[in-house]
Amino acid sequence: MSVLHAAKKQDIPEFFSKDDTCPECRSERYLNQSMKLLVSPCYHELCEACVHRTFEAGPAPCPVCHRILRMNEYYQRIFEDLTVENEVRIRARMAMTYNKREGDFKSLKDYNDYLEMVEDLVVRQLYGDDTGEVEYVIEKYKRENNSLIEKNQSKQQREENLHSLYAKEERLRKQKQREEYLKLLEEEERERKDAKNSVIDALATSNKDAREIVRANAVKLKKSSLSHRNATRKAHMDIEALLRNATDDSDDDSMGQNEADAWMVDPEESPYEPMNIELRDKYEDIILRTRLSNLSGTGVTREMHQRYVIEGAMAGLFEPPLTDNSSGNKDAES
Amino acid sequence: MSSAKPQLFEQTSQYRHWRFTPTSLAQLRAANNKQGVERVLQGLREEAQVDNDRNTLETRISEATNNLLSPEEELELIDYYLQVTVAYARMYGKGAIFKPEALNNIKSTAVNFMKRFYLHNVVFDYPPKSIMLTCFYLATKVENSFIKIDDFVRPLNDVVDKNKKGVRTKNEDILDLEFVVIQSLQFELAAHHPYRPSYGLYLDMQAYIENNLLKEVYDRTQYYIDQSLFTDLIFYYQPPQIALEKNLDIDMYLTQRFEARSLELLYPILDDIQEVIANRINASVVDKKEVKERAALIDRKLILCRNPEKNPNSKLYRKKIADRDEAQYVSDSGSE
Repeated sequence: MSVLHAAKKQDIPEFFSKDDTCPECRSERYLNQSMKLLVSPCYHELCEACVHRTFEAGPAPCPVCHRILRMNEYYQRIFEDLTVENEVRIRARMAMTYNKREGDFKSLKDYNDYLEMVEDLVVRQLYGDDTGEVEYVIEKYKRENNSLIEKNQSKQQREENLHSLYAKEERLRKQKQREEYLKLLEEEERERKDAKNSVIDALATSNKDAREIVRANAVKLKKSSLSHRNATRKAHMDIEALLRNATDDSDDDSMGQNEADAWMVDPEESPYEPMNIELRDKYEDIILRTRLSNLSGTGVTREMHQRYVIEGAMAGLFEPPLTDNSSGNKDAES
Repeated sequence: MSSAKPQLFEQTSQYRHWRFTPTSLAQLRAANNKQGVERVLQGLREEAQVDNDRNTLETRISEATNNLLSPEEELELIDYYLQVTVAYARMYGKGAIFKPEALNNIKSTAVNFMKRFYLHNVVFDYPPKSIMLTCFYLATKVENSFIKIDDFVRPLNDVVDKNKKGVRTKNEDILDLEFVVIQSLQFELAAHHPYRPSYGLYLDMQAYIENNLLKEVYDRTQYYIDQSLFTDLIFYYQPPQIALEKNLDIDMYLTQRFEARSLELLYPILDDIQEVIANRINASVVDKKEVKERAALIDRKLILCRNPEKNPNSKLYRKKIADRDEAQYVSDSGSE
């Protein structure tokens, strides 16, 4: 869908800023909220009222640069950067005429040549080719390829219609799903309330043991809600399958088991030699006795701390010191 | 005792970069001292140029040369300040500025930092008085007992104010040196001490020694380790080895716990450690006052031979700062 098309339909908002001022009549957006600033091909802004006033009687010079313009050459602004605005406009106009696709060409090279030609014309228009040569070329092309252009245009139109149809269907489906889900929630809620009431009634009226009644009902409730959930899940899957066959897009986003497995780390695969230290059941702990309560808050258990400390005592216990002819460490000489 | 995988302690920076032999350590210190002396003389000459005073240059250079500190004297001075560090740690601990269980770690980390710092720096450039406080401050950060700089400096200044003696410490004195210290430590701040192994051994020994003896053994070990702080043992041996003082009880434990083969390797190490610490204890029995006087003497010598390049009070230092700022200003304002 072309950008201008969308803009005309008010799908893309017009760009404006708080401090917009019309250069001609000096009215500000602050005073007139709905003021619309239109832009000319020579990058100059003018408010709508002024455009009407100035170009009522036909072509007139631009108030800023005095280039001769017509009323219909003023466009609504979409982009903050006027050069971008201009280029988008030019390209949109070109795309209405030069609408061939890759399939229309015999080889990739032909397609690329075509694209290069189009790009060439665009650039010439962008940098102000005023000799009218570009216009002439475009007109010539239009005349020569009239039937093809029309065919492509109608094809484009059909595609756009199809897309909007798909979008509408998708929206309807989602809405239906949501309604069903809400209905399901309601039903569950109702069921739960009924169960509760029945328990209360049973407790009030029957002679059985209270605990038994409650337990029996709890089991019943769990079973019923579980079956319910399974049923709805199955129903959802059916609907999805149907819709997927109906429309063309089917994206498979199942992660698969492989990705989940990749996160598992095998604790036995530590790169370091494990220290096999067996802790006794009970240690006399005069040093830490009063402070062990602090440890538990951090998730460190007594055993963890004891293991940590004893491993510290065994680490490097039998490591010999460096000798003068051994390699030593890197910066002994530095 | 070869194993397929490496041991975890072999990955610590202390094991990889801060282990020496007695000879290599002595060589390192001697080379360091020599370089430092050269820099002092060079700095003095540069300062004379700034000053433009030939006469003072001559006197100052001769003064400096006569009072240069040997590596041994350097060590003595550093040793004195290590003792001050430990005393300060006790003072801070009493003031409950940090948790008492962190006390051992902080004081030994500070001492360790200072020892390592002076393997790559000399007292001529950085007098130990200021470095000591910076190492201490860093140690509180490293051992998870951060103290705000104001709270850190206050007890020191309180003492100065009370005795009306000494110079007040400013925050900048400590903070300005932080980066220098960390850089000299090669950014390796994890220091391992014998305190945790001693506790682990205390737990492990409960299977082999009666409980009523254990407390005594543990207290003795603490004293043993405290004395090891003033030696270079941590550069030669592993922390658990320093936590094993050889006496009857520990012998009994070791023979029951480990194989004879491994003990063959261990016993010479323990003997060596014991000898060093015994020497240290003998040396420290000397009168405290005498130690202080000796340190003050060396300090006075140091004033004469300090490197003006790194002395914030010297003209050369101030000139260099001014030059550097000007150069920055010029490069910022100019375009090329």
